[in-house]
Amino acid sequence: MNETQSTVLSILQDLTGEDVSSNMDTNLFDEGILDSMGSVQLLLELQNQLGIEVPVSEFERSEWDTPAKIVAKVESMQ
Amino acid sequence: MMSFDPYGNPTYFILLFVALLPLMIGLLYGRRSHIYESVISFVFLMLTFGGIKWHTGIALIIYLIYQITLVWLYSRYRQRPDTPNKGWIFVVSVILAIIPLAVVKITPAVHHGASSIIGFLGISYLTFKVVQTIMETRDGTIKEFHPILFGQFLLFFPTISSGPIDRYRRFIKDYDSVPTRTKYLELVEKGVRYIFLGFFYKFILAYIFGTVMLPTVEHAALQAHGLSWALLGVMYTYSMDLFFDFAGYSLFAVGVSYLMGIETPMNFNQPFKSKNIKDFWNRWHMTLSFWFRDFIYMRLVFFMMKHKVFKSRITTANVCYVINMLIMGFWHGETWYYIAYGLFHGLAMVVNDAWLRYKKKHQAQIPHNKFTEGFAIFLTFNVVCLSFLLFSGFLDTMFFAARP
Amino acid sequence: MRVSKRLFKIFGPILVAAILLLAVLLSPFSFGLNHVSKTTEETAAVSLSPNVLKGRLVKRQALSDNYVPFFGSSEWSRFDPMHPSVLAAKYHRNYRPFLLGARGTQSLTQYFAMQSVKKQLTNKKAVFVISPQWFVPKGTRTDAFGYYYSPLQTTDWLQTEKNTAMDRYAAKRLLQMPSGSSDKVLAGALARVAAGFKPTSAQRAYINYKARVLGSEDEFFSKFGIAGKNLKTVKHQETFLPTTYNYNALDELGGKIGKEQTTSNDLEISNKFWRTQLRRNYKRLKDSQTHLNYTKSPEFADFQLVLNQFAKNNTNVMFIIPPINQRWANYTGLSMEMIKQFDTKIRYQLESQGFTNICDLSQNGDEDYFMTDTIHLGWRGWLAVDQKVDPFLSKKQTTPTYKINTQFYTKKWQQLDPNDLNEFK
Repeated sequence: MNETQSTVLSILQDLTGEDVSSNMDTNLFDEGILDSMGSVQLLLELQNQLGIEVPVSEFERSEWDTPAKIVAKVESMQ
Repeated sequence: MMSFDPYGNPTYFILLFVALLPLMIGLLYGRRSHIYESVISFVFLMLTFGGIKWHTGIALIIYLIYQITLVWLYSRYRQRPDTPNKGWIFVVSVILAIIPLAVVKITPAVHHGASSIIGFLGISYLTFKVVQTIMETRDGTIKEFHPILFGQFLLFFPTISSGPIDRYRRFIKDYDSVPTRTKYLELVEKGVRYIFLGFFYKFILAYIFGTVMLPTVEHAALQAHGLSWALLGVMYTYSMDLFFDFAGYSLFAVGVSYLMGIETPMNFNQPFKSKNIKDFWNRWHMTLSFWFRDFIYMRLVFFMMKHKVFKSRITTANVCYVINMLIMGFWHGETWYYIAYGLFHGLAMVVNDAWLRYKKKHQAQIPHNKFTEGFAIFLTFNVVCLSFLLFSGFLDTMFFAARP
Repeated sequence: MRVSKRLFKIFGPILVAAILLLAVLLSPFSFGLNHVSKTTEETAAVSLSPNVLKGRLVKRQALSDNYVPFFGSSEWSRFDPMHPSVLAAKYHRNYRPFLLGARGTQSLTQYFAMQSVKKQLTNKKAVFVISPQWFVPKGTRTDAFGYYYSPLQTTDWLQTEKNTAMDRYAAKRLLQMPSGSSDKVLAGALARVAAGFKPTSAQRAYINYKARVLGSEDEFFSKFGIAGKNLKTVKHQETFLPTTYNYNALDELGGKIGKEQTTSNDLEISNKFWRTQLRRNYKRLKDSQTHLNYTKSPEFADFQLVLNQFAKNNTNVMFIIPPINQRWANYTGLSMEMIKQFDTKIRYQLESQGFTNICDLSQNGDEDYFMTDTIHLGWRGWLAVDQKVDPFLSKKQTTPTYKINTQFYTKKWQQLDPNDLNEFK
């Protein structure tokens, strides 16, 4: 597990109170783990902890709906 | 000169099919002619905004020039070499974009129901498209601005009168490419199915609920004048009529878009199966609620969290829900019942979130089975129908309208 | 090729459906769908549903059987035990009324309703209730006419018009109605007829095509949506009647029921009408009708259309002129002198052209329990109608001879003061 991955997962755990590392492909929105509020917090935390700026327009739900996709997105932006 | 309401009668559909046929053959053979598309768009816009409604056509043209100029100016500003991004310029641009719609919506409220001369069918949907483009330009996700493409996006005739509300980047991607033959055949198959499902929804079910049943129950409820079984009948009948009429229309718009090789997003996804209000807004008038989510709610939350307006994230979420839904209420029109409808849904979201948190905390004690799910659907359905009764304005007619 | 197969899978069913639909709508065959059962006739005869009035098939079938058209308006909905439909059913008369008309139907609507059953009217009998209230200065209300307007009857009429004075006047009137001029091609044809020309051949082709489609639609759908509520009411009302017919006994019964059902007010108005329509506005209505005038109206010419059509088909008609509840008229200040003048004028229009079967009740408004409410016949009033209508329909009548005078279409007649009747002669 690289550093980005662990940071993302710990942010998600802080936000949702759930450990999602065991299931990287679970759909966070369908399962009710993440909602609009949570997505905004995620974007803010990514900015604070990893220094990457994601404008809200860039947040296309279908591209951010599983832990694996989020990690990939973040890595592509670093 | 003929004049039609979009998707209003068989003649419109026959004309539509005749006009689309060459375009469809073209797409099947991998060709897309923007010139032909523009010509038929123009013809169908003339049918909608011409004839006795010509003055609304003029209003549309002026509106279009105004908005394209506005977005073009803002885009020019953002593309200057030093990439300036002043907040106030952004805010002023959004306000300028909303002003025509605001005038149209406020005029009836202050002028006893008279409609504004700058209004035309679909102005609110065009305003959504303009505002989102300005916002994405600010975020830098839209980098280049093509006035012609932007005009095509605004004037895309299948969706001009009542949505679904597409996104500029998504639309342009489809508009500037040709689907493969296999892909296009799939689109045609779906499109035809949607159009025919739309016939069933709009011309059969909505007719039964809206034209056959609604007047009868409304009459009975007016006679009773107060809480009555008939009023309950109005609530359910109106809700069904609203859904089948609008969903039917949306199916036409999406189906026709598909035939043109444009995958306009769907507007409804079995909304009466929703398990809670949040779920409902992910299934009902989806392009509108997603628009509000992406361009109002999330931005509001982002702003408030970043500037730490409230300490608690729960307060932030709740305040934003209510503001978001109130804006939607105001968008529907400046009458007490639309605003009350917005407030109702804002508060419903707050309650819904509180319940979800409570449920999460007490997961062990709260049962979850087929029965509780069924109950959740039943409860959500009734809350939604109650909100539609408010939305319908029937209560206004019953309690406040001058009696004959 | 796979693509063509796929395309056929998508569009084949639509194509087949479209071809079938066109074939069915345009074909002269009715595929056995035009069967109208006796029950449907019985239900339709008293349903007062607009679709029955606007339709064609059900009326044609019923009138070819032993049903007699009873033209009129809102009085037909007053189903008490002495209502013509109840009496005819209870005492097994050799005729049954087919009620045509409801609230808001006036001469012009009735004229077009007659167009679809001309054959069924020819050399037959009919009953026609003339409401004085139709003859207001503005004539037929355009919205009410629109509500009962039937494009099918318009095409039926256009297919048979011969550009007589009647046809020209009817075309002119139809063009004045928003509903009548809603179809632009038909409106063009009407304009030509009104101006004294034949429709163009293109218009004629369109009329024939339209007539075919509308006719097929009527055959397929007119049997549906006929309300059965009134038939139930009729059957229920029959139970109040004695087994054998006896005028004196029935007259007494009518008075008794009337008395029982008018206890809430001093005007002998039925409790139901009083409660739902009148009580709330009662105070406001005092002396509210002093200015009403039924003597000058375009309705007189519209009514001439009806007479002209009856004459053309040699229909023997019993006309009924109902009274107005005298107590009500006194309260609202309605002028009885004016009613008398109206009666003189309308009787002149009828009698001078050979329509001599008239049941004129206009002076009976002060009889007890004659009216069920303000202007509608009830109990003893219905029975008085039956005294004339039953023998007229049950027994053989001498053939009438009509002499139509087209002067009755003129503005002069419409606006003629009944005191100046001599001028007109």
